[in-house]
Amino acid sequence: MNIKKIMHVENLTHFYGSQIGCEDINFDLYKGEILGIVGESGSGKSTLLKCLSGEIYPSSGKINISLEQGGVKDFLSLPEQEKRQLMRSMWGIVHQNPRDGLNLRISAGGNIAERLLNVSEKNYSHLRNTGKYWMEKTEMDSDRIDEFPIGFSGGMQQRLQISKILSSNPQIVFMDEPTGGLDVSVQAKILDTIKSIVRDINVTMIIVTHDLAVVRFLTDKLLVMKDGIVVETGLTDRVLDDPQHSYTQLLTSSILQV
Amino acid sequence: MKTGFNFAYLDEATKRMIRRKILKAVCIPGYQCPFGGREMPLAYGWGTGGIQVTASIIGKEDILKVIDQGADDTTNAVSIKNFFKRVCNIMTTDKTAEASLIQTRHRIPETTLNKDQIIVYQVPQPEPLRKLEPKEKETRKLHAYKEYALMHVKLYEEISQFGSVIKTWAYPVETNNRYITDPTPIPKFDNPKMNNMEALQLFGAGREKRIYAIPPYTKVKSLDFDDHPFEIQTWDECCSICGSTKSYLDEIIINNEGEKNFICSDTDFCNSNLEKNK
Repeated sequence: MNIKKIMHVENLTHFYGSQIGCEDINFDLYKGEILGIVGESGSGKSTLLKCLSGEIYPSSGKINISLEQGGVKDFLSLPEQEKRQLMRSMWGIVHQNPRDGLNLRISAGGNIAERLLNVSEKNYSHLRNTGKYWMEKTEMDSDRIDEFPIGFSGGMQQRLQISKILSSNPQIVFMDEPTGGLDVSVQAKILDTIKSIVRDINVTMIIVTHDLAVVRFLTDKLLVMKDGIVVETGLTDRVLDDPQHSYTQLLTSSILQV
Repeated sequence: MKTGFNFAYLDEATKRMIRRKILKAVCIPGYQCPFGGREMPLAYGWGTGGIQVTASIIGKEDILKVIDQGADDTTNAVSIKNFFKRVCNIMTTDKTAEASLIQTRHRIPETTLNKDQIIVYQVPQPEPLRKLEPKEKETRKLHAYKEYALMHVKLYEEISQFGSVIKTWAYPVETNNRYITDPTPIPKFDNPKMNNMEALQLFGAGREKRIYAIPPYTKVKSLDFDDHPFEIQTWDECCSICGSTKSYLDEIIINNEGEKNFICSDTDFCNSNLEKNK
């Protein structure tokens, strides 16, 4: 089977002044693959994610992306308009704090509709049905479609954010600590939901987290970062079961065994 | 004519600056051009933008009509008319058909405008996205990149909450398939008149210092959904003065018992309709 490469990252480096953000990052991302980026706070995970999602412009390096309609493009040289368009339809970010990804002044259905309206969907009942479909898909009560997310629990808000992003059938989803700030039982439920959906719709994802349980559960491939560089990379199970680098060994041994 | 003023109050350099902005606005229908708005001898919100646009394009031969909510005889309309009479010594009129230049607040006259006329709107808030996106820098990008999902989300919200779009005035339009434009606080009843209008439409916002325009014969489409098409207001009643069933009606409470009457908001239309029916 020929699996399509959809992102190629080469020597990606970003400095904040003289401070290293991330340095010399290389990886390939294939269609349907879920890539985890783990590391401690300040290791450059979020910087890397911001570079990849176009939020900041890296100091040097190359990001090539394959577009759905075919052809390879240099992501960094895309005009701002195309980057924004990409972020609004073909790509999507799930923020750690759902308040960053949702508009709390508009209803749950309106939030999902915004995403679809970006891809020129102008039929009200279709917007409505898609909204309900995705709310059910993320195990929310679709009767609450007209309620405002401000009245939702943290877990519900996160589910809504995920359904908003997935509703436009994106090519790549970036998740920044999708379960951070939620209690453990809700975390587990959301991870279950994400897992069942990604297998279902074959979406490609990059997940940034410091939670090894999340990467073990969801990801295929892993980048372990420390002080801005990738110290170890490989298949998730291999890295977690047979860690080579001393930092990865420390990381895996620090999981609390109950 | 009062002496000590330049013709039409503004100095020639200012008028030229405003005319340049008007030309730019006409070239890019619906695009909001910033301009160096001047202080005018009336308060912001009373039509400082419209009055500057009018002052910069008015000529000695022009016949001016000013309306406020459709009426020729309200304070704002009368004051602005008197102002131009004083500083330009020009003719004014109440008849829509006779006017070559019409300055308006909140209405488009019922009488169809022709290609020899110019209509100037007074604009309180030129940015249709302002209440949806507070950052000016961001709204400019949204316009530049044609990212107008927010506007439809607003309509979506109204349909989901109330069953239909409840916005009845300043109903957003798409000009020439490109820019989303605020038609100023005119009732949505008037929106269809903007489409393919023969007259040039100019919009001046004094406080916000923006000018935009819709050239003659330009497509102006009110935003809607495929399955919730745009509709204008309708009334079961007719005008209690002239009996018109086609014009925009104002509801007027006439006594303490709460009885009400409906009359045309466009006074010129109402009067001429009455003449005709006599």
